[in-house]
Amino acid sequence: MRTPTLRPRPSGPPEASTAFVPIAEEARNEAPPAGIDPDKSLSWLRRALPIMRAHKGIFATSLTLSFFGLILQVSIPLLLSKAISNSIEKHTVPLSYYVWWIVGLGLLSGVFGYIARLFLFETAYDIEYDLRNIIYEHLTKMSFSFYDRVQSGQLISRANSDIRSVQMYMTFAPLILVQCSMAVIAFCVMLTISVPLALVAMATMPLVYWTGVRMRKSMFPVSWIIQARLADVATIVDENVNGVRVVKSFAAEEQQLRSLAGAADKLQWGYIKDADLRARFTPLVQNLPQVGLALVLLFGGYMVIHGTLGVGNILTFNLYLLMLQAPFMMLGMLIMMGQRAAASAERIYEILDEEPTVTDALDAVDLVDCTGDVRFRHVDFAYNEDAEQLVLADFDLHVPPGQTVAIVGRTGAGKSTVARLLTRFYDVKHGSVELDGHDVRDLTLASLRANVGVVLDEPFLFSASVHDNIAYGKPSAGRDEVEAAAKASGAHEFISHLADGYDTVVGERGYTLSGGQRQRIAIARTLLVNPPVLVLDDATSAIDVQVEQTIHAGLKVQMEGRTTLIIAHRLSTISLADRVVLLDQHKVVADGTHAELLATTPLYAEVLAQAAEFEAADEDDGPEDDGGRASGDTPLGAMLDAVRAGGRP
Amino acid sequence: MTWGGGFGGGGGLGGGPGAVGSSAAAGLPFAGIPAELQSGVDRLVASEPEYETPTLTFEQNANENELKRLSLWSLLTKYPWMLVLAGLLVVVISVAGQVGPKLTEYAINYGMGGIPGPGHLDFGVVVAMAIAYVVFIAVTATAQRFSVQVTGRLAAWVMNDLRVKVFAHLQRLSLGFFTEEKAGVVMSRMTSDIENLQQLLQDGLSQLAIQALTMVVITIILFATNVLLAFITVVLIVPALVVASIWFKRASERGYDKVRDGIANVLADLSESLHGVRIVTAHNRQRNNVIHHRNVVGDYRDANNYTAHVNAIYGPGTQMLGFLGQAIMLAIGGTMVAHHTLSVGALIAFFLYLNRFFQPIQLLVQQYNTYQQGQASVNKLRALVDTEPEVTEATDATDLPPIEGRIAFEHVTFGYLSDRLVIEDVDLVVEPGETVAFVGPTGAGKSTLAKLVTRFYDPTEGRVTIDGHDLRDVTMRSLRRQLGVVPQEPFLFAGTIGDNIAFARPDASDGELREAVERVGLADVIDRMPAGLDTVVHERGQTLSSGERQLIALARAFLAHPRVLVLDEATSNLDLQSETKIETALDVLLENRTAILIAHRLSTAMRADRIAVVDEGRIIEVGNHDELVARGGRYAEMYETWVSQSDAASHTPA
Repeated sequence: MRTPTLRPRPSGPPEASTAFVPIAEEARNEAPPAGIDPDKSLSWLRRALPIMRAHKGIFATSLTLSFFGLILQVSIPLLLSKAISNSIEKHTVPLSYYVWWIVGLGLLSGVFGYIARLFLFETAYDIEYDLRNIIYEHLTKMSFSFYDRVQSGQLISRANSDIRSVQMYMTFAPLILVQCSMAVIAFCVMLTISVPLALVAMATMPLVYWTGVRMRKSMFPVSWIIQARLADVATIVDENVNGVRVVKSFAAEEQQLRSLAGAADKLQWGYIKDADLRARFTPLVQNLPQVGLALVLLFGGYMVIHGTLGVGNILTFNLYLLMLQAPFMMLGMLIMMGQRAAASAERIYEILDEEPTVTDALDAVDLVDCTGDVRFRHVDFAYNEDAEQLVLADFDLHVPPGQTVAIVGRTGAGKSTVARLLTRFYDVKHGSVELDGHDVRDLTLASLRANVGVVLDEPFLFSASVHDNIAYGKPSAGRDEVEAAAKASGAHEFISHLADGYDTVVGERGYTLSGGQRQRIAIARTLLVNPPVLVLDDATSAIDVQVEQTIHAGLKVQMEGRTTLIIAHRLSTISLADRVVLLDQHKVVADGTHAELLATTPLYAEVLAQAAEFEAADEDDGPEDDGGRASGDTPLGAMLDAVRAGGRP
Repeated sequence: MTWGGGFGGGGGLGGGPGAVGSSAAAGLPFAGIPAELQSGVDRLVASEPEYETPTLTFEQNANENELKRLSLWSLLTKYPWMLVLAGLLVVVISVAGQVGPKLTEYAINYGMGGIPGPGHLDFGVVVAMAIAYVVFIAVTATAQRFSVQVTGRLAAWVMNDLRVKVFAHLQRLSLGFFTEEKAGVVMSRMTSDIENLQQLLQDGLSQLAIQALTMVVITIILFATNVLLAFITVVLIVPALVVASIWFKRASERGYDKVRDGIANVLADLSESLHGVRIVTAHNRQRNNVIHHRNVVGDYRDANNYTAHVNAIYGPGTQMLGFLGQAIMLAIGGTMVAHHTLSVGALIAFFLYLNRFFQPIQLLVQQYNTYQQGQASVNKLRALVDTEPEVTEATDATDLPPIEGRIAFEHVTFGYLSDRLVIEDVDLVVEPGETVAFVGPTGAGKSTLAKLVTRFYDPTEGRVTIDGHDLRDVTMRSLRRQLGVVPQEPFLFAGTIGDNIAFARPDASDGELREAVERVGLADVIDRMPAGLDTVVHERGQTLSSGERQLIALARAFLAHPRVLVLDEATSNLDLQSETKIETALDVLLENRTAILIAHRLSTAMRADRIAVVDEGRIIEVGNHDELVARGGRYAEMYETWVSQSDAASHTPA
């Protein structure tokens, strides 16, 4: 065995190695500049701070301009009051003086308002952009074990409504705070006019705040319930969209409709509870500032009558309190938004705090010039955390470079698991999986997966053209390369018959194609990458035998000089292999050529019962037929006998 | 038998106190309630009533009520009394809320000497006005309280109706729709588009009404206070506002349409990435997909920024108009006071009302945004609900009586697209109790023939009958209830394995379940699982092997006890061991049942009574195995290949 060349990975984050990573698309947009703070002990807002900080330029500009805009707004009522006393009551200053001031300040506040609001929204959408991409990027790093236990409907709901409520809060909260700072300014102005009246005017504000706090406490659980139930509804819809064939086949529409109606009923209850709680608090929060107006009228009136206050100041106080009403109302909204956002943020952080279990080691190296020497050493593996349900136990297998090995076993014997471990979709519990003598955990994931091509049993296609689907692993491939791969997998012919040939866009998940057609595209997709190690996990199960045979011719060529693992049930597929290993009771129980296994291992024969039985009738095949006799007396055997009698005279 | 909370159907609907917890249990291990919330959530859920099991019935054809054009109005008018009540409360809030400045004017003029004259300095008037002020505030607050309760209920009910209505329509749509439409787009209609209406219905519409009415009330008061000044205000300000608003409406409509398309694309991309995550990982496409997602989200952000621009012009713009209005009023009103044609109190009241005139406009803009977004969503939903199913039930469709199972294809021609025929002039009769296998190359039309029997599609020409009934003349439910289908891809739902097997018959007893499990040879697999039949299936059963999933799908069909069985490549993912097991079971299952088998292996085909060889959409040979082999046609050729290959397989490896 040749020593493989290893290349130390450039330093930096694990993403740095790009040699094995196909990039098809030009980046039109930047990466999110920051992530959340990984320290879980911080409050949710503190954890989100780095994201906000990344946009501090436009955000600060927006807040500053809002602030100045507010100062302008605060000064206009003051001008009005002065105009009433100085121009209308006393005639000491010409009216036009105040009119022009108000016009000027009004225009300026419009300009400030435009810029402030535009920048604020832009910050909000930038934050949403960041959050969406941060979550998406995190999801792409997650391991298979994560996707095994998480429902994608739940993830989509988190990535949608939850992001929005967090983003709303993060941008609008500071704005509302700035507007509340106007309250401070206005309060100061009121104090300069009349200390007692200012105190009276603001008397109800602490009550507003206190009600807000109460409201927040009692509404938090209900908003959590609503979010959870929205996700439940989403899950049912997701399943019905993706499992529509099953639902229709069994005429289960009514049952599904009822289950949705049930989930919707529970959601409805949540919303009604929410309304009842809001009904208790919102009128208080909104009307307490109004009570301040009545108090101003009462006390201000007394002071005007006693000559300690000008009538114009009643107007000023009224206008200020009206100005303050909006921020204080928003303060109530802010409290509501805050609780929603906190619940949403927790749900988002739950995703972001999930660590991928399969990651690049810090000192991982790229595997280049892979020779394809595959070795499993004493591998123990279980999908669950508890090691009781071992799928593989003390599993040993060595596949020298260039060899083609078929892995055979009963359903659930762990055949597919072998493939998943080699590509490091999961990590072993004990023992090791080695490629070219290197523990796969010491290699970068990208280089490992670029060298180990796997065709999964589920031929998932993306809603893109056939060309793009085949070139999925190597987007730079030209049409000739794609066609060559399609030819090798026997897909070229039917693709040429599609409406737009290779440019035909396959529908959602490729359901416009048959299972066999999808599988052939999936094989072409992997062949195009030309990996030194090839794993076919039940990759031809839906392809009919006739077609399969033509594919085999192509595959044979492709397997030349390539280490290949075939997981299959069909004898015809197994025939591609140089060697067969039989998996049972979590480990390899027999290893050899097909003929050897037939001769020595009854279990193998049993597993291959059908095919072996078929062979039994072949007069020319003497010794190997023993294994097949086991099931020779089944009705099927009898039928096959009859078939043979008729079919091969 | 209860489905998990995530599934929510069957007997589990009675949920009650356990309901929230079970939604967490059904698949999302980290959907736990934050610890500090637990007690609050528990207390809330304890107050939740027991729900009655929904008794909705599903009709293939939308009834008259459902055929009505989907609009906000039609959804709301289902609850006329609540609407009337909401309307009354809106009037009370709008009027009672605007009394304040008028009281202030009166207090200034007649209490604080606003109108010069003796006896006009009267603190008693001020006190009376202040008390009246507080009373009106109390009235407003009470009305608001009821209004929130009423509109909250109205919103919750309408949203519930909408969810059920749209979902029911989704269930009616044909397979063709789901093939063409991206799952993520359908998802976003049912989730974000409907959720978008929540805010609008819950307080958006009532706020719109309150603010609009407030403007009317204020206009009336302004005119009552001083006609000239009110007239000048209306002439100067209203036209400017109208022009600005029309521009805003147009621009923001365009913007929100783009936003909705943008978010649909974002969700579709996310959904596809999640469902195809295994392929993405295997091909190292994560980096590329991240870039792609950034681009999609970037487009969405651009659309949002456009609406931001529109909003930023309109919001502060109208505010600026407000200030300019104040300046004008100061100039004109001040002059009028100087000429004693206006009292100081009235001028102050004018300023106060003018301010209140602009505040609703600001709020209207906000609410109008919500309204626009909601309307955009309603339009998308309407488009979905107006999508006609390609396969519909005849209005006079009758229930298919219990069938013998004689299936006949009579000159059947079919194409998914009208210009590309997949099936051409197929004639075939499957006798009751007979098993017919379709064999032929991929894409020949085998699966399509099966889909015509289950009426996933209707023939373009000719007809398919069962026991002489044209499938288009019978109800789909009665047809499909008598069919058992094992589709190409075994699809598992969230819930337990038992729930999945009992999918077609949720009422099946444990004994029947167990029987089905044993008959298809699933017993070993189930017994190996910690919770047996109650083992929860996570995310479409990806932790199960495809063979196991296939066995579950078979058990599901088995339990349905159909008269006619359609097996579409059902055994292709099984290893030979399991396959042998279920083949024996199938022999029993096929007993006295009509069956259509889509076989890719001749060994499967050979088990059939007759074999139909399908090629390029036509049946080119029909007969039993012996006949076909003897005929020396296409089938004989296939058989020869297969025999030699199987031989080769047992010899080659050396």
